[in-house]
Amino acid sequence: MTIDTGNGVGIRVANLNDIPEGEGISVPKYVTGTDDDIALLRDEDGSVWALDDTCTHETASLADGWVEEGHVECPLHSSKFCLKTGEVQGLPATKNACPHRVEVRDGEIWLFPNQAP
Amino acid sequence: MTSTIEPTTAQEACPGNACGNPPQGRATSAARGALDRPSELQRTVDVSGLVDSEGGLLDRAIFTDRLLYSQELRRVFAPSWLFLAHTDQFHKPGDFFTTYMGEDPVIVTMDKNRRIKAYLNSCRHRGARVCRADFGQTRNFTCTYHGWSYDLEGRLVSVPNESGYPDSFRREDWGLVEVPHVESYHGLIFGTWNPEPVSLRESLGDMAWYLDAMLDHDPEGTVVVGGVHKWVLDGNWKLAAEQFATDWYHVNMSHASALMVLSPTGKGSKDEIVHRTGRQYVDPNGHGAGFPVHPKNRFDADTVHHWMDYDALRERLGDARVEGPVTTGHATVFPNFSYLPVNGSIRIWHPKGPDEMEVWAWTIVDKSMPGEVREAQRLYNLRTFGPTGIFEQDDGENWSECQAIAHGFITNGVALNYQMGMGSEREDGIHPGTTSELYSDAAGRSFYARWRTLMNTPAWHEETQ
Repeated sequence: MTIDTGNGVGIRVANLNDIPEGEGISVPKYVTGTDDDIALLRDEDGSVWALDDTCTHETASLADGWVEEGHVECPLHSSKFCLKTGEVQGLPATKNACPHRVEVRDGEIWLFPNQAP
Repeated sequence: MTSTIEPTTAQEACPGNACGNPPQGRATSAARGALDRPSELQRTVDVSGLVDSEGGLLDRAIFTDRLLYSQELRRVFAPSWLFLAHTDQFHKPGDFFTTYMGEDPVIVTMDKNRRIKAYLNSCRHRGARVCRADFGQTRNFTCTYHGWSYDLEGRLVSVPNESGYPDSFRREDWGLVEVPHVESYHGLIFGTWNPEPVSLRESLGDMAWYLDAMLDHDPEGTVVVGGVHKWVLDGNWKLAAEQFATDWYHVNMSHASALMVLSPTGKGSKDEIVHRTGRQYVDPNGHGAGFPVHPKNRFDADTVHHWMDYDALRERLGDARVEGPVTTGHATVFPNFSYLPVNGSIRIWHPKGPDEMEVWAWTIVDKSMPGEVREAQRLYNLRTFGPTGIFEQDDGENWSECQAIAHGFITNGVALNYQMGMGSEREDGIHPGTTSELYSDAAGRSFYARWRTLMNTPAWHEETQ
């Protein structure tokens, strides 16, 4: 299902219950229409964020990473990225991850690929 | 959900030429290219003259010699089933526990298919451990040195700057070295590097009957309470393993103060407690177990004693086990796993050179025990056989005492006596296998006979003519 909020097209990609706090899921690029898969990441406070799924350091899925205190840590080499901005917060990665806008409506997660959060 | 123990998993986890049984002369299937280790690095000693199990004599060099120690790692530890962990330590994929097999560090983990696997904890690149935590939950094992990263199936999944390697480099050739066989028996997980071992169950033989007295009180089995206590002792690992196999003899002497503290009068145990009779199981594979035999054998912790349904135990395990090995006994599964049914202590004596061992001790309880009963058993264990337990302290002191002087030239050549109970070994018609008296060195003689056999038998990784 898609909606147009007047601010780009959103896609309903998951239910909030699909993602335990502190974890993530990967949405394939054939769904999002983006260059990379997109990681939906749920912080421990319950909020949901979206970043390009592939770590900017080596090939690894950020959706498999550890989500806590506003950042996601790559499961392979522990690079850290800000959930909100995608800004890299720790080596070995040096490039920022691309963030995407997410809205939670009535327990549904809507993703707006390539829109700034 | 329960875990699955796959009897043989190395081949399926690792397709391609690099897998399968290792070629002769190699300890694992890991490729060695043009490497060819000179045999001078592994000198082998004939130990026939160091163990006289028929005459009940031991040469102390087996406790002190560095050459014999390295031979032990190759011929006793590498081919044997070694205790790794308890199944209750693994509930979700990625749960892991790090331990040792001999001196080899291993990771035990549940993979994504919920199978228990064990891998050598050493990066294939420069050799650092890829998991430095004692236990936990993870998704990958990443080396902290250069970042080679392995998944729960041991596959190498990420190599930073992989483009810098030659075209011949294939990640699938550089996975973690897998322990080829991992099996469990009633919650106890064992592994072996031997590519073609007898099954764990077969290697236990009649020892399983005695193990079940601790592990099989009811269909729910056992769980671990608390963490794993670890402490270092001066002393050769065999001193501890042997004692738990064969030695009730030391109890009234070494533990006199503890027994006095625990006696109702404070003056010591009654005559019938001090002069107990019982049996000692003597296993041809080197296992051993000793236990007093009495119709009213009981668990020492009152809360446990009152909760335990001894009639139900008699129905499930039979009178002989309830009147024998169910409660106050000691046992060793060769080579270095020991346990005490009365308090749920299971422990492994990790070798750390000829003169030192690390004790790693778990407390297990019946899963069916309510919280307060588990807690009573945990505390009883801690107070008696925890790292500062009133009995444990006595044992550690003895072993370090024996070891401390054993390097003296004259001392080292003076034989030790293991002659108690010689000729007493028999089948008694009540307890499976061969048994001796409670006070006996019979299981010790068998322990060292097994050690001698393995030490004099080339293992799979040695070239044979």
